[in-house]
Amino acid sequence: MTAAADTDQDWKADWQEVADAIGRDFLDGAISWGGDPVEPGAIRRYLEPLELDCALHTDPEVARSAGYRDVTMPATGVIAWTIPAAWRPGEVLFDSDDRDAQPVHSAINNADMPLGPRTTGFFGTDIELDFDREVVAGERIGRRGKRLVACTPKETGVGRGAFLTWESEIVVEPAAGAEPEVVGRIRIGTYAYVPHEKKEA
Amino acid sequence: MTVDTSVLPGKRLSDVTVGEQLPEVAIPLTVYRLVMAAGSNRDFNSIHHNSAYAQRTGADEMYANTSFLMSSWERLVRDWCGPAGRIRAIRGFRMRSFNYAGTTMRVLGEVTATRVDETAGGPVGVVEVAVRCEGPSGVTVGPGTVEVLLPLSGEESA
Repeated sequence: MTAAADTDQDWKADWQEVADAIGRDFLDGAISWGGDPVEPGAIRRYLEPLELDCALHTDPEVARSAGYRDVTMPATGVIAWTIPAAWRPGEVLFDSDDRDAQPVHSAINNADMPLGPRTTGFFGTDIELDFDREVVAGERIGRRGKRLVACTPKETGVGRGAFLTWESEIVVEPAAGAEPEVVGRIRIGTYAYVPHEKKEA
Repeated sequence: MTVDTSVLPGKRLSDVTVGEQLPEVAIPLTVYRLVMAAGSNRDFNSIHHNSAYAQRTGADEMYANTSFLMSSWERLVRDWCGPAGRIRAIRGFRMRSFNYAGTTMRVLGEVTATRVDETAGGPVGVVEVAVRCEGPSGVTVGPGTVEVLLPLSGEESA
């Protein structure tokens, strides 16, 4: 075996503890709620860069004529409306004036992963969604559980890391004392990696 | 909520044929648009709005985020089916390569299957649409499947 091959096996071995955790719910059934309830202003802003024109999302009368209580969230908004708040009162979010400094914490990275190598590159790779019903304005949604269902170490054009797949239920915040209602399921694939060093030209 | 989208305008199952091509949606990916998208869908990963940062992660340029790409599939399908349609599932949404700022992304779809499902609310039309995004170098996302529920026409539900 060559030295290069040894190195190749070493970095993959660093992901073994993650692979061993396949099946584990990293939230232990807890719910990660979106930062805000679905509301018409945020729906409008979601539609704007898409130029998506559907009265169900903008006209309460049209939505009510079909039996909805209010305008509906675009189905794909399930990702946006389950992202937690970026900042809470009392927290420091920005602690550097470096041009490209990152916030102290973010829900959109792999920083909360307690196992495996530290990675600085991260992006989504694939998603599957199933919906039991539409979400309407006034409802707050969240993701219940975060079960790891796959971990595949792989070197790609951008770096060395692993493809990870996570599964959660989409739930609606209930009235006090009630159980959250499951309205869908989401399976998200990500690639967390250490970027290749840029070669000098 | 008891929902009945048959009161709304849009496609009925009888309007749909397998092999039908959905009208293409062309989406110019400008920096302005991607910044608007990040602000609205809350994915502030710097790779989606900061070229220098994106390049340090191995990409050529900042690129469209996951929510925006997935919602482009919803745009394609919604433009085609109108308010009467209901999106029940999205499968095979696989991002194969980056959709960079400074390019135009095309979103394309084709009806691959139709059927009638029995549900608690009665029979409903089900349409499977194969959707993909294409950039200057070919397919960037998908092809995957958007499963759409459509009302039946009067004759179909009789």
